[in-house]
Amino acid sequence: MGLFSRTDDHQWSQQHLSHYVEGDLGSRARRRLDRHAQDCVDCGPGIRAMRALVRLIPVIEGSEILRAPAGIFDRMRSAGAGGPHSDTPPAPSWDA
Amino acid sequence: MQLPGRRPGPGSRETEAGLVARAQAGDMDAFEQLAGAYADRLFALLLRLLDDRAEAEDVAQEVLLRAWRGIGRFQGRSQFFTWLYRIAINEVNRSLEKKSRRPISVPVDTEALQLAAAASAEPAQQAERAELRRAISKALADLPPPARTAIVLRDVEGLSTQEAAEIAGVAEAAFKSRLHQARLKVRAAIGDEALLAG
Repeated sequence: MGLFSRTDDHQWSQQHLSHYVEGDLGSRARRRLDRHAQDCVDCGPGIRAMRALVRLIPVIEGSEILRAPAGIFDRMRSAGAGGPHSDTPPAPSWDA
Repeated sequence: MQLPGRRPGPGSRETEAGLVARAQAGDMDAFEQLAGAYADRLFALLLRLLDDRAEAEDVAQEVLLRAWRGIGRFQGRSQFFTWLYRIAINEVNRSLEKKSRRPISVPVDTEALQLAAAASAEPAQQAERAELRRAISKALADLPPPARTAIVLRDVEGLSTQEAAEIAGVAEAAFKSRLHQARLKVRAAIGDEALLAG
């Protein structure tokens, strides 16, 4: 008998399908999921579905060419004429 | 996929570092050239996160104004686009917070998805694809903002986990956790059958 019950394995596998397809599982965890998915009617297709999702999102969401509107710099031009060091500071401090 | 920060701006003969230096000295044209190279992608990012064209346009203008005013603080330890995107994420969060807007939850029509997935006739393929597109867009729109941001940065924009985490302002481990949870929710909303048929 393995370390984990079949129910444990199933719940754990379902929660780690994205980790699996992303390559974020260590070798032991990957083997655990592989072993479970071989016989599980949900997790085998689940892996394929997660792979399909990761493949489809950029195809579907990124397929539309979106152009910035012409006036995108208007506010900067009118309000920012004082130069880049004026009073409203805004840029994140993490790069300062 | 070519990342925005790794290519020269369209038509620019000057390096990005040169444009940054000129912008920091107060040259607005240099800033426009610098940021203009990323304007389309910036707008697309905002539109995907806000799901409202007018709001995305308003926030885009605010991002560029803030970036212009803050360019003096940019020290080049990250790429310019990473810095710009980080400002954008901050502004998106600010905008959503201001409006206290919660994504409107519209359940995905799983029955229609399954019917579409089962259709095998060729004329049905376009409708099936359109339905899948609608379902994915709806599932993304229903995610809480941090989860949506994780998917948009990593899966739509194609940024590395390191870059995406930096832009989102969280550690890589926390970012990965958000991403994985977000994908699980989207998968659950759409259903394996529809995904495997797509």
